[in-house]
Amino acid sequence: MFVKLSTQAIEILEGLKKEETKSVKQFTEEGFDQSTVNRAGLELEENSLVKIEEEEEIVYELTIEGQEIIENGSPEHQLIQRLKNGAKQISELQDLNIDVALGKARSKNWIKIEEGEAYLTDQGRENLGTDQIRIRLENQDYAEEDIERGLVRQETKKLRRLILSEEGKKIDLEELVEEFNVEAHTETPKTGKKHFYKEVTDYARTTWLEMGFEEMSGDFVVPSLLNFDALYTPQDHPARELHDTFFLKTPEKADISEYGDKIDHIKQTHQDGWTTGSKGYKTEWNEEEAAKNILRTHTTAVSARRLHEIDVNKEELPKKLFIVGRNFRNETVDRTHLAGFIQTDGIVVGEKLNFKNLKGYISEFFERMGYEKFRIIPAYYPYTEMSAEVQVWDEEDGSWLGAGGAGLFRPEVVKPLLGFEATVLAWGLGVPRIAMKAADIEDIRELYRNDIEILEETPIWRPDK
Amino acid sequence: MANIQIDKNEFKRLLGKEISDKKLLEQASYLGAHWHSIENGKAEVEVYPNRPDLLSVEGLARAYKGFFGVQKGLKDYPVEKGDIEVKKEESVEEVRPYIGAAVVRNLNLSKKSIESLIQLQEKLHKTMGRERNKLAIGLHDLSQLKPPFKYKAVKPGEVSFTPLEHEKQMSLEEILEKHEKGVKYSWILEECDKYPIITDADEKVLSFPPIINNKLTEVDNSTENVFIDVTGKDRQTVEKALNIVATAIADRGGTIESVWVDGKELPDLYPEEMSLDIHYFRKISGLSLMEDEIKERLEKMNYDAEKETSDSLKVKIPAYRTNIMHQYDLIEDIVIAHGYGEITPELPEVDQIGDQKGIEEFTSLLRQIMVSSGVLETNTYFLSSKDKLFDKMESERKEIVEMKNSLTEDYSALRNWMTPSMLQVLKNNRHHGYPQKFFEAEDVAVLDDSPTGASNVRKLAYIVSDKEVDFNDVREVLQVLERDLGEDFRVKADEKPFLKSNRSGDIFIDGEKLGFIGEISQQVVENWDLEKPVAVFELNIDKLYELIY
Repeated sequence: MFVKLSTQAIEILEGLKKEETKSVKQFTEEGFDQSTVNRAGLELEENSLVKIEEEEEIVYELTIEGQEIIENGSPEHQLIQRLKNGAKQISELQDLNIDVALGKARSKNWIKIEEGEAYLTDQGRENLGTDQIRIRLENQDYAEEDIERGLVRQETKKLRRLILSEEGKKIDLEELVEEFNVEAHTETPKTGKKHFYKEVTDYARTTWLEMGFEEMSGDFVVPSLLNFDALYTPQDHPARELHDTFFLKTPEKADISEYGDKIDHIKQTHQDGWTTGSKGYKTEWNEEEAAKNILRTHTTAVSARRLHEIDVNKEELPKKLFIVGRNFRNETVDRTHLAGFIQTDGIVVGEKLNFKNLKGYISEFFERMGYEKFRIIPAYYPYTEMSAEVQVWDEEDGSWLGAGGAGLFRPEVVKPLLGFEATVLAWGLGVPRIAMKAADIEDIRELYRNDIEILEETPIWRPDK
Repeated sequence: MANIQIDKNEFKRLLGKEISDKKLLEQASYLGAHWHSIENGKAEVEVYPNRPDLLSVEGLARAYKGFFGVQKGLKDYPVEKGDIEVKKEESVEEVRPYIGAAVVRNLNLSKKSIESLIQLQEKLHKTMGRERNKLAIGLHDLSQLKPPFKYKAVKPGEVSFTPLEHEKQMSLEEILEKHEKGVKYSWILEECDKYPIITDADEKVLSFPPIINNKLTEVDNSTENVFIDVTGKDRQTVEKALNIVATAIADRGGTIESVWVDGKELPDLYPEEMSLDIHYFRKISGLSLMEDEIKERLEKMNYDAEKETSDSLKVKIPAYRTNIMHQYDLIEDIVIAHGYGEITPELPEVDQIGDQKGIEEFTSLLRQIMVSSGVLETNTYFLSSKDKLFDKMESERKEIVEMKNSLTEDYSALRNWMTPSMLQVLKNNRHHGYPQKFFEAEDVAVLDDSPTGASNVRKLAYIVSDKEVDFNDVREVLQVLERDLGEDFRVKADEKPFLKSNRSGDIFIDGEKLGFIGEISQQVVENWDLEKPVAVFELNIDKLYELIY
């Protein structure tokens, strides 16, 4: 009796001849491609040489929270360690993952909080020694509560097992006739690939270029003057507080003398409106404060700098400018927050521009990025008037998604920087949600973790995908 | 930004119109306050900093009366002339110089309206008041007090009273040390040797602003007449906040009565006026509205407007509105009333050809070459720490861009080179198979003599790790770059603290140093908890670009 089989099926059968039964996983561990083994298995089953059984296996995988515990210990244990030598103000503990730490430590009765101060209970003191959760995670000896808490992900995987049939046992490998199987999968080669988030931001960059925009660039370290004051943000604005903005120890201050008279114009604009037609904030304005270096909190700081340069270089208007760049916020990093983010800013500077044009550019951009529906709703930014929040319609989720802000720069911004009045359409938009959807990730930190499997398996993003 | 919770039925009652939840959620956000949700009779509304007048259910209902067309135009708040006086003493000038006051009489407050007023007070403290520093509001039951009032500053131990939420008399000093509110807000008075108080004719303390009121004057549902005080560091802010609070309380059916504060009659509810240039409006908005259409839209936003000249309108601004600094602000409100959704997108004629930065174009080219060499691109954090950038790299610490106020050590500096970021990527992938090859072309920041003292520098790093890795595994990729760019690099041996001895060097082009190449030392591999050997190169591509273009 001669049986026709594909090369791949013959290889699998040879492998089974020795051990009679083997799981698909075992084959893949030996270097076989998973889909090849599955197909070969089916082919062998059709020829009654093999029986396929399905079994379920529960696999556990650490989440980012879980990995962090292995690295640094659980938040509640870190907290009690810090309270070892006495009570501490909650405000002194902000560097910890404080909400989780307080919540867990309280529910375990390890700490008490009184008048904004946390201190250890006797029970807390008893638990100073070992961090049970960390040990469990390290030993992969997971408890139900670890899963509930989201430290470990539990997944049920279907496993296939190939078992040689009586016929299969009897068959003589010599009797097999090799036949090439064009339907079978082979192994996918390892290749180079761009990062999925950069694919999206590259696409945004190309879109602006296609729309005729000129690219801008700028440094991460900027004086507060550009990030805030020139953008008509008062010096006592909450965004300028320590918990929102990274101020610098080195280099602490900038030399802002290159802005010359403009510093004085900005100062006057804040105080009484200068010649912009505004009444101003009527608040104190301190040049020292404006010279403080920070990490830019938005790429709009680059747009502000560029307005100044248009004046310095006596460039002709109108002008369309854009940047895709990184920005920084002093935030606690978790599933939904990062201390850095990518934003695309654009400005159009000219005489004959209006609010309809602003909506026109944004609508064109998002259409090219694959969003059919978008809307703007009123919002507030200190530096724009007719301020708008931009939202795009997410077809998959059936909801509006925040995608950034837009508006016309106020005269209080334009005149001091540019030296004369002009209309400036401006926006700052974000695309991380697009990248997260492309890679099917829910934890925003995955954008920066660079897990090989996600880097390799994520399809290259394009707008209609 | 502040989120407030309002009672939906209270809102509808004050609005005077039945409106479905669905319509509210769909349309109300177009006024410029974000309606997030309506659940169990409560609506969650996000109010922007330019509209503190919307921080109460009363304020919201007033605004939506106009927006939904129930009652358009400026709302008149009559003020009856009163004879209560607040005398300001010289002693407060250095401490908290401004005070405003008003009385609202004949009230019949429900529990819900008191809750709303307390929320308004708290939210104003937080936003416009910058955590009570810039302004603090006190509400008092007038029946317990005997005018005239005095606003003065006294020594911390001099005066005692029983503060809200406590049973015993405390001195001002004790309040700052022991009372929950005192502990929380004592920073505002940190540099003062005297503290501000408001007293009545019998020297009874009403309030210790910005900390706490006397328990005696607490407002409850038996209160008929309310005395409002607002203190702060900026006259305009104090008076605006007074207007917001007084009008919100009056919307509950009371009568506002003026108070003489340091010779001035307050609250000043007389509307400010501003001219609106109709042509300017049309130019900026792109809307060709007629004069009466503009007027109608202003009235929807609770303004009044009348013809001033043939090209302009005289606009009356409600006294509770803040931040109307420029006619741009009026234009925004007209467009809001018109409807952001009604604006037709329109692209103007701007003749310009797309133009990218040379360095970005060059970076794209390098990324292309790296990908075609079979390498995965990464996206790593720009923030790092001296521990990762120096200690773990067995390198001596030096000055780099470092933050003053990071929440964690992990994000306390800007990276000054790429290699540590790439080692972190290997660490994150320890559970995957080998070989592993990664690259990234991104910015780092270095200290220099530019005006800020720091600049970005673009770098390209390539890293490889496998069971066995040697110098040639990185050298070969460097050669691909040389081949595809048509340039010759030279590698000269040089020792580095983080690279293996005799397996490390500098990369040069035309005698200029571009970076380094080599095998990572065993110690550094261990510092990063890696198990397999690693090799790396890192190039300054700003410099490379400069030299070859």
